[in-house]
Amino acid sequence: MNARRWIVRIGVLLVLLLLPRMIYPVLAVDILSWGLFALAFDLVFGYAGLLSFGHAMFWGTSGYVTANVLLRTGLPVPIAILAGTVAALVLALPTGYLSIRSAGIYFSMITLAFAQMVDFIARQADQFTGGDNGLPGIPRPALGPIHFDNPLHLYYFTLALAALGYLVAARAIESPFGQALRAIRDNRVRAQSVGYNPRVQMLVAFLLSAGLSGLAGGLHTVGHGVVSLDAVNWSTSGIVVMMTLLGGTGTLLGPLVGATLVLLLQDALAFSTSASGVVTGAVFALTVLFFRRGVVGTLLALDLRRRAGERLIGAAK
Amino acid sequence: MQDGAVTLLFIQIFNGLVNGAFYALLSLGLAVIFGMLRIVNFAHGALYMLGAFTAYALGEKFGLGFWASLAIAPLSVGLFGMLLERTMIRRLYDLPASYNLLLTFGLTLVIQDGVRLIYGISGQPYAPPQQLSGATNLGFIFFPTFRLFAIVVSVVVCSVTWFVIERTRVGAVIRACTENPTITRAFGIDVSLWVTAVFGFGSALAGLAGVLAAPIYSVDPLMGSELIITTFAVVVIGGLGSILGSVVTGYAVGVLVAIGSALYPPIANTLIFILMALVLLLRPSGLFGLQEAR
Amino acid sequence: MTTMRSAAGLCVLLAAGAASAQYSAGGIKVGLLTDMNGVYSAISGPGSQKAAEMAADDFMKANKDFAGKVTVIAVDHQNKADIASNKASEMYDRLDVDAIFDTVNSACALATSAIAAQRKKVFIDTGAGTSELTNEKCNKFTFHYAYDNYMLANGTGTTIAKQGGKTWYMIYPNYAFGQNLERQFRAAVEKNGGKLVAPSDATPFPNTDFSTYLLKAQSLKPQVFGTMQAGADLVNVVKQYNEFGLKKQNIGLAIGLLFESDIAALGQDAYQGAIATVPWFWNLDKAATDWSAKFEKAAGKKPTFDQAAVYSAVTQYLQAVKRAKTDEGEKVVAQLEGHKFNDFFARNAQIRKEDHRTILDVYQVQVKPKSEAKAEGDYYKEVNKTPADQAFTPLSESKCKMAQ
Repeated sequence: MNARRWIVRIGVLLVLLLLPRMIYPVLAVDILSWGLFALAFDLVFGYAGLLSFGHAMFWGTSGYVTANVLLRTGLPVPIAILAGTVAALVLALPTGYLSIRSAGIYFSMITLAFAQMVDFIARQADQFTGGDNGLPGIPRPALGPIHFDNPLHLYYFTLALAALGYLVAARAIESPFGQALRAIRDNRVRAQSVGYNPRVQMLVAFLLSAGLSGLAGGLHTVGHGVVSLDAVNWSTSGIVVMMTLLGGTGTLLGPLVGATLVLLLQDALAFSTSASGVVTGAVFALTVLFFRRGVVGTLLALDLRRRAGERLIGAAK
Repeated sequence: MQDGAVTLLFIQIFNGLVNGAFYALLSLGLAVIFGMLRIVNFAHGALYMLGAFTAYALGEKFGLGFWASLAIAPLSVGLFGMLLERTMIRRLYDLPASYNLLLTFGLTLVIQDGVRLIYGISGQPYAPPQQLSGATNLGFIFFPTFRLFAIVVSVVVCSVTWFVIERTRVGAVIRACTENPTITRAFGIDVSLWVTAVFGFGSALAGLAGVLAAPIYSVDPLMGSELIITTFAVVVIGGLGSILGSVVTGYAVGVLVAIGSALYPPIANTLIFILMALVLLLRPSGLFGLQEAR
Repeated sequence: MTTMRSAAGLCVLLAAGAASAQYSAGGIKVGLLTDMNGVYSAISGPGSQKAAEMAADDFMKANKDFAGKVTVIAVDHQNKADIASNKASEMYDRLDVDAIFDTVNSACALATSAIAAQRKKVFIDTGAGTSELTNEKCNKFTFHYAYDNYMLANGTGTTIAKQGGKTWYMIYPNYAFGQNLERQFRAAVEKNGGKLVAPSDATPFPNTDFSTYLLKAQSLKPQVFGTMQAGADLVNVVKQYNEFGLKKQNIGLAIGLLFESDIAALGQDAYQGAIATVPWFWNLDKAATDWSAKFEKAAGKKPTFDQAAVYSAVTQYLQAVKRAKTDEGEKVVAQLEGHKFNDFFARNAQIRKEDHRTILDVYQVQVKPKSEAKAEGDYYKEVNKTPADQAFTPLSESKCKMAQ
């Protein structure tokens, strides 16, 4: 079983390495950054069981900080992205601490409230955010042989950092910490009785999620060379939820698959002149109704059923 | 000049109460569905919009005026809500509330874009009825007569709803259905039918708010989309499960936003989220809420 | 990948010989990047696409050797700046688009402008208002075609102040466009002997209810109530302006940015008497009316000024390509710069070399009541004309690097 998992992972890695030759590289960069964002979101949603409506605040704050570092100082791109990630973590400390105190729908509402406040600040602080005009034309100085204006260089750079983010998330999920999270999600009281401290575990998960969202946001900003108020808008928080659900929550590859599907759908709709809302909304509603486990989740479930069937047949023999 | 400033403040507070009546009515429907049934109905804003467009369509296609729309539109929106509940929303009751949120979010996109495809993105004209058009001279200001009518409707509907749910047997049955469906069923009450009916009622309230909004605000497909998160905030602040909470909070938010607009306008629409964060931190079950929030 | 494609392209060029080798990828591709489904889709959207297609068809009919060589592609940016920059890159890189047009929404326009400069391809914006496109953020490949904030403010503010509207109270949406427009209006009003009776109020954006500000206006009693809101916000302002009876209290209405679709949303009686500045309207004169009839036949509705601007801009671009004998960005830019022209949309027009701002005659209009309308959609009465050389930012005040 372990071997199979590694085959799948290597397969995905191969696809990612060849992706810019299959589709437009700029779109491929988007898939990586949104995919990482969705995975980061799922750390809290799929594993800790908390639906956050405010994740755009980490993605966006990091984007703006990254942009400002690049615009105002001559520091290299990785430093700028690091600064963005740190900014997201700093934001996550107070917001996470305060939000974790609530559960269920209250958690969602309080994260929404914080995100709306960040949106407001971003709008007002137009010295740093460009207000409604955003910050276009962000310079991306070359890093040694890497020229960020070259879509292929940009893609592989993003792939390297996104893969790093993925590894961090994967390690966390498959570690005892990840198991503790799942235990807390499934039965908080029982987890407490066994000695886990839900508050601490969830805060750590929240911080990790925010940090990775920040990394994703920084990559996204560098990838586009522009950041605007959309990055902190509540609809961005909504899109990442949709991606995660579509791909399959609680799975490592689900968010990436979901991001790919949503981005490809969005791309296709960009060339149509009507009904994009109807299509998007219908896809969303149908997924939630009939396809709740998402693509990867459904595949895993089918696989599980098949193997259980095999075992039954084997036992019957 | 001091006197002028005080008068202006008083005017703004009065205006805030009128707007608050609107928030209260809009939140009432969501308080019933979200507060009592615990269904996170993100489509509430779209239903409100449908109420307004139904009024417009009734006028445009059948020549029916405002008064007829006031009776018919909420009924049709209520029926539509029941249809949504029966066919789609009820499938997700066993899952965490977030799934219904996501479903209704998808439905919102479909409804909004569907209306846009039929009517376009710009608004449709809709005027108040003759009897209520124009402004009344209240001495210190000229206030639109229709808004005064709207506040009356809001107070009446909110009071009746509160009374029915908190003080009558019908309300007791509804509350029993949501608090303990199993035992309620054991008494021979068809819980699922009641849930559908209550959902329909909440939807009808949204439609009613929409009809009242049509003469005042632009009737366009997105008219409910910015209101929806504000409405959720009002219900959460008021406390889930409390009709009184939502109504009182609605009025309070109206006044808060009015004062905010007078003092520092840019923050006016964000104030409610700041308030919500504060309430959730200090009183997690909301101002009047009774339920456990942790 | 880019180097490989250039090498391949070079080979094709050499092999193909002189005649068809002037145009990249064998033809001229006109790109439309704008809001197709969202809040600006009525102003721009599918109507702009139709206008661009008409322009391409008419050009090919008039220039037989271009037959079959010009294509139009339309892309939706969904009012998101990151999607706009992605799509602009894709259009220039992968879809061989030679020039992008329209692009409503200032954030999207600025993002596209930055991409155009990087890719060294033409970008002609007709839909966005930010004057930064020809000031702080100007660049060699960006052109601003139909209107901008300076033109709106200067035109309307000056006209009303001169007509006797001396005391003002204004509201504006709290973002760059609104702030910018309010500042320009204030300057124009004060320059012409007017004054603000109270500091202008920044409203949240977007916003539905404006009762607070209308009540404030009732007690301040200015001669003019100015609103810089646009789109759905403007419709709400005007609806409530009528609701609160400000007109009966002799408080006139000045509108920063007005589109025909805004008027259609309420009916023209709601806007009656309001004054705004527009670069064009469908029944401005015979040339405009004739073209609008053709457009209406093809698109099913009367054109907005943005859609007319798209037709005009695409035509001017194609003629510049013809003069340059190539669609290579820099050479076409050289042909566009300084070009003077007159067409059904732009009169006494010139594409300024220094900042790539197209100057043209603009008109102050007043909305007439339905009773005076001679046809469906006859909204405006011309009350003043601002000549091209006075309507836009004087070069002496320009913040564009190219103009220094």
